[in-house]
Amino acid sequence: MASTTETKQKKMLILKSADNDEFEIEESVGVQSETIKNLVEDGFTFVPLPNVYTKALIKIIDYLKKHANKTDSNDEEIKTFDKDFVNTTFDDLFELVSAANYLHISCLMNMLCQTIADRIKDKSPEAVRKIFHINCDYTPEEEAKIRKANAQAFEGQFDESLD
Amino acid sequence: MDYFRLLPEGCVSDILSFTSPKDAAISSAVSRGFNSAAESDVIWEKFLPDDYKNIISRYASPWVCSSKKELYFSLCDSPVLIDGGKLSFSLDKKTGKKCFMIAARELAISWGVDTPWYWEWISHPDTRFVEVAHLKAVRWLDIRGTIGTQMLSKRTKYVMYLVFKLVEGHEGLEIANAYVRFVNRMSENEAEERASVVSLVEEKVKRRKRNVKLPHNRGDGWMEIELGRFFNDTGDDGDVEARLMEIMRLHGKGGLIVQGMEFRPE
Repeated sequence: MASTTETKQKKMLILKSADNDEFEIEESVGVQSETIKNLVEDGFTFVPLPNVYTKALIKIIDYLKKHANKTDSNDEEIKTFDKDFVNTTFDDLFELVSAANYLHISCLMNMLCQTIADRIKDKSPEAVRKIFHINCDYTPEEEAKIRKANAQAFEGQFDESLD
Repeated sequence: MDYFRLLPEGCVSDILSFTSPKDAAISSAVSRGFNSAAESDVIWEKFLPDDYKNIISRYASPWVCSSKKELYFSLCDSPVLIDGGKLSFSLDKKTGKKCFMIAARELAISWGVDTPWYWEWISHPDTRFVEVAHLKAVRWLDIRGTIGTQMLSKRTKYVMYLVFKLVEGHEGLEIANAYVRFVNRMSENEAEERASVVSLVEEKVKRRKRNVKLPHNRGDGWMEIELGRFFNDTGDDGDVEARLMEIMRLHGKGGLIVQGMEFRPE
């Protein structure tokens, strides 16, 4: 899986996914993750990531490479890349949140959280449950109590649609 | 499958902190997991103004809140007095942005000091402040309030209001001028020329004039009249002054009670 076409002088890192695939990336790309940066500062060049699966890791490396090459002139290009990046299934989005959280990549984490938050905005609790397949584990009495405690937030109209 | 089930609880709070105060409060009713994430101080710290700790340190009386969420909603519901009671502070329910009211005592009122036959200072059962200003009779009506833009929420459109009541038998308040200006950017003369026309009395001008701004009932026993609005960009614009005046037509004016001037998001 490793790419070896990069130049000689650049410092390289090897990331190992939870399903044992290895990826070689430039150190400068990897250290956008605080977790990787801390390991690099401690002298590691081989970084096992037991919480990040290959599927998510491939996407995240893509993201890091794109953002490592950020300049004033490719701002629009990166915006388009980001937009496409989060335009994916909930399965992918939530897996990426776990990975970005573990890797401490704050700009990616913020973007993913905002994407999911946008799906919660203005929705009723019922709609949120349906959208994210959440089981309500309250008894009717408990739920009534919670609604009462937050009564002022429940004033007004909700968006009941599931998009 | 529940998509949130595999996330660490901190991540659920992170996600909710990108919604709004209203959404976060509502999400408590989704499930137990959401409820515990939605109570987290991390979320409500983000919804509170950046300088809320500084503001709390200026409270006029000591005050305790058990959580950041409780603090947020109590600031939405009931304004607190700060700076020794000169100002009241609250949050706009919907946006969490900062609202201030300057007490009448802190306004610059012409003939307002030491001339109790023009303006007198009285206590009032409906006010959050110690005293309010009662206009008995004056020809020269001129009230100004000033606030530093650095105190207000950034990138926010603010509207300024005079908060008042009319006394039975009031007179001469059907027409006045109002403006809002950045003190460093617009001269008083220029602002006076651009001033809008307002009325503190609702009924009398209703049909006669179109461009006259009319007062509204606030629902708390007081009326308010809009003095003007401005956009607070980064809070670097120095002081903003709001002014209500009638210094052209020098007929007798009286029967007005002023609680203060309020600055709140549009």
